[in-house]
Amino acid sequence: MRSHFGRRSFLCLGAGAATAAVLPGLLAACSGSRDDQLSISNWPLYIDPSRPGHPGTVERFERASGIRVTYSEDQNDSATFFAKIRPELAAGRAIPQDIFITPYWLASRLIGLGWLEELPVSQIPNAARLVPQLQRPSWDPSGRFSLPWQSGIAGIAYNREVTGRDLTGIEDLYAPDLRGRVGFLTEMRDTMGLLMLAQGEDPGNPTMARAESAFRRLEKAKAAGQIRAFTGNNYQSDLLAGNFAACMAWSGDVAQLAQDNPKLQFIVPSSGGILWADVMVVPKRSPHLREATAWMNFVYDPSEAARITEEVQYISPVQGVQAILSAHQDTAALARNPLVFPDASMRNKLHTFGPMSESEEIAFEERFAAVSQA
Amino acid sequence: MREVTGRWTLRQAVAVTPGLLTLLVLFVLPLLELLRQSWSQPISRFGLETTLHADAIHYREALALAGPVLGRSVVMAALATGLCLLIGFPLAWWIVRYGGMWRPLLTGLVVTPLFLNALVRAIAWSSLLADRGPLLQLLQRSGLVPMLEVIGLLQDGRLLNTSAALLAGLTYCGLPFLVLPLVASLSTIPLELLEAAADLQAGPMRSFRLVILPLALPGLISGCLLTFIPALGDVVNAQVLGGPSDRMVGNLLQNLVLVQQRFNTGAALAMVLLLIALAALLLEGRAPRNGQL
Amino acid sequence: MGSDPPLLRQQAGLTPRLLTIWSVTTYGLLFSPALVIALFSFNAPSGRFNLLWQGFTLANWRHLLSDGGLSQAFLHSVLLAITAALLATLLALPIALVVHHRRPRGSGALELVMELPLGIPEVVLGVGLLLLFVRLNVARGWPSLLLAHTLLCLSYAALALKARLSGHDWSLEDAARDLGASPLQVMLRVTLPGLMPGLLAALLLSISLSLDDVLLTSFTAGSVVTFPLWVSGAMQRQISPQIHVLSTLVLILSLGALTIGTAMPAWRRRSELKTPAVHPANSASRS
Repeated sequence: MRSHFGRRSFLCLGAGAATAAVLPGLLAACSGSRDDQLSISNWPLYIDPSRPGHPGTVERFERASGIRVTYSEDQNDSATFFAKIRPELAAGRAIPQDIFITPYWLASRLIGLGWLEELPVSQIPNAARLVPQLQRPSWDPSGRFSLPWQSGIAGIAYNREVTGRDLTGIEDLYAPDLRGRVGFLTEMRDTMGLLMLAQGEDPGNPTMARAESAFRRLEKAKAAGQIRAFTGNNYQSDLLAGNFAACMAWSGDVAQLAQDNPKLQFIVPSSGGILWADVMVVPKRSPHLREATAWMNFVYDPSEAARITEEVQYISPVQGVQAILSAHQDTAALARNPLVFPDASMRNKLHTFGPMSESEEIAFEERFAAVSQA
Repeated sequence: MREVTGRWTLRQAVAVTPGLLTLLVLFVLPLLELLRQSWSQPISRFGLETTLHADAIHYREALALAGPVLGRSVVMAALATGLCLLIGFPLAWWIVRYGGMWRPLLTGLVVTPLFLNALVRAIAWSSLLADRGPLLQLLQRSGLVPMLEVIGLLQDGRLLNTSAALLAGLTYCGLPFLVLPLVASLSTIPLELLEAAADLQAGPMRSFRLVILPLALPGLISGCLLTFIPALGDVVNAQVLGGPSDRMVGNLLQNLVLVQQRFNTGAALAMVLLLIALAALLLEGRAPRNGQL
Repeated sequence: MGSDPPLLRQQAGLTPRLLTIWSVTTYGLLFSPALVIALFSFNAPSGRFNLLWQGFTLANWRHLLSDGGLSQAFLHSVLLAITAALLATLLALPIALVVHHRRPRGSGALELVMELPLGIPEVVLGVGLLLLFVRLNVARGWPSLLLAHTLLCLSYAALALKARLSGHDWSLEDAARDLGASPLQVMLRVTLPGLMPGLLAALLLSISLSLDDVLLTSFTAGSVVTFPLWVSGAMQRQISPQIHVLSTLVLILSLGALTIGTAMPAWRRRSELKTPAVHPANSASRS
């Protein structure tokens, strides 16, 4: 299924080397997987898109590399996506996607199952530009199976007008004066990670024993009517409308929401925030590993990464983006935004939710579901 | 008169085949697979292989996990269906009795709001019902809030994230599914029948009960089924409009299958839901069908 | 028709008026989110979330198809909904006719099987269908998507048709056949027009189901992106006015189509035919 990106770029290509690169691919296109093709699956609005007169990331990549890209914005829920790719990968077959962007915890699971191709990092020179904090992360200790796409912070967002005061941490979410106007996330790792930090436990090594006090407090709060709702991304409208006084939220969203309502603030809780990342991975038996590495190298070029950040406004995994953005007048403000470029003091408060054993994961999910889903 | 022949003619068999084939391949096969999964144990958590067990452990697990939620969901779905009947029957009646040549348009008007994307609709509802939204402001100024709290329409002074909001959402989504079949069925009743009944000096209530209701029954029952069963499996309304204690069995099932990766237990729960639907369908089959008069 | 008895005329005053008020209020409630959505399609949000009113603009409507991904997804959904609704109704109609007219042995079971898919939650149906498609090597994309949506709509179409067929007066068909019409003529000129409310219900309900479906679509769409899929993914990062514009457009187009359809003479004629006691000669001359 060709996306409109592919079609338009084909039309835009002039004669010469570019055409010569595409022509063999075109002739071979009907007969299945061949070289110079790449299929990417991503979330909507998570890239610099092509607009009239302004080629996006995909189009620029196609021109630079001669590889034809099928870019699908067909992801909307990671759990569903996993269920979708599971039948084929479990049976040892290839899936149509050559690269997909997936949350860190799902990448960790896929790595454990052996369902990902190892990336030839030596062929991705720009991978050296990866920010130190995301090198050899807990979900991919070898650093050879994934490369971060964007990252962000799970923290607390609040409506200053509704709360009447500034908030500092998770304790505020349990405060009696905010009863019934507080939101938690359905994303188990972000919620439990933040709550564990508030109890003084390290979420980098999560066990049921360590999370016990956090779970118990959560269950009590729910029973007492403290929590208004467990939300996915739909906390945004509640936050804007003032239905939530405060809620757990993601940094990139609030950076955007604050433009519509300046009373909204985002804080990393005093006990610590959770750093998450969406990463690029290549599924096993993909016939286009070479093309995939070309793509990864391309988007890790600081100027390309800067364009993506300008559009998406999450935390870039590439070093040097801040310098590029601050050099231009219209992106200088973005370069100063601490939610997009957290400073050292913010970074020191960030933790990642560590990998869990299968039995721990099952126990965590079940107990969390009992609170948030029943 | 409806003829009842015992045997199938060739033409009937041929006519029925495409639909039957579709059902067999796309429904019965996955259903059998689900049934098998609910009686199997997975060998590894994410692999595809399972071994068959003659053990109802997944059913026991499912009922233990989902028992209370299931009960709550059945009650919610039944309440929503009742509300749809209350609101929808007069509407359907009005369309058929007074709609005249505008019937198709009026009928279509009932369902077109559902053409709007559910998420977009949900956000529109949440801005209407918001804490600072028009409706709550109106209620607060009119002083009705304490009374509404007592009868349970408001919870902690809010309209959203309450059981009432969930019920309203379920009713909203179910209404067209009740009204359309009802209109289809009511429109078979000749007006002369109404007037003939009135001629017999029967009051409006009696003529309704004895004449209209039996004839409207097929549409009524179809409509109730099309409202109740989907409401039972609802996911979106509970997520957006309900509070944290208002989740429906559909949310739990989704979590079981997708997040907790417990497909076998999920399959067992799905079988339980299917049994409830089957019971409803069988009851419907036993309901008196209208005869020709 | 004769003169109305006094009793009926007395009631005629209050009841219709009450019913009209009730109905108009219900329509108002049904369309209130639509009004909000239409309103916000003219909003000019300063950020990425079109949730707070910030100013009137026509720009969203002028640049209707600016977002390529969204417009393409929208087109996919409309095509899919119409096709799946037609297919589902076409598949359900013969079965409904056979089951509710002749009722041969075993048709009760057939009827049950046709309605049972209603009772399967979409998430397990999605997984089950996906496994099936993988095993049968059905291409994951438009083929699998169309099949899944057709199945989804099948039961709804069946129940909508049954609602109509149960009260259907078959004597008109008998009369037409007695007059020498072929079975095909009977079907096309007598049965189908008579079933119009049921067919309409089946099609409209199926379209609304298909347009909104996310869960089943996620599993069976392959890389095809439909409007609800795109929206549910995009809403996590942005709620653009384009979504409101396209949603309002769907509404306007459907209302337009309905109004045109209502004005069609054939329908008007049929809906005026309220009694079965029509002289066969009359009905033959009308159609």
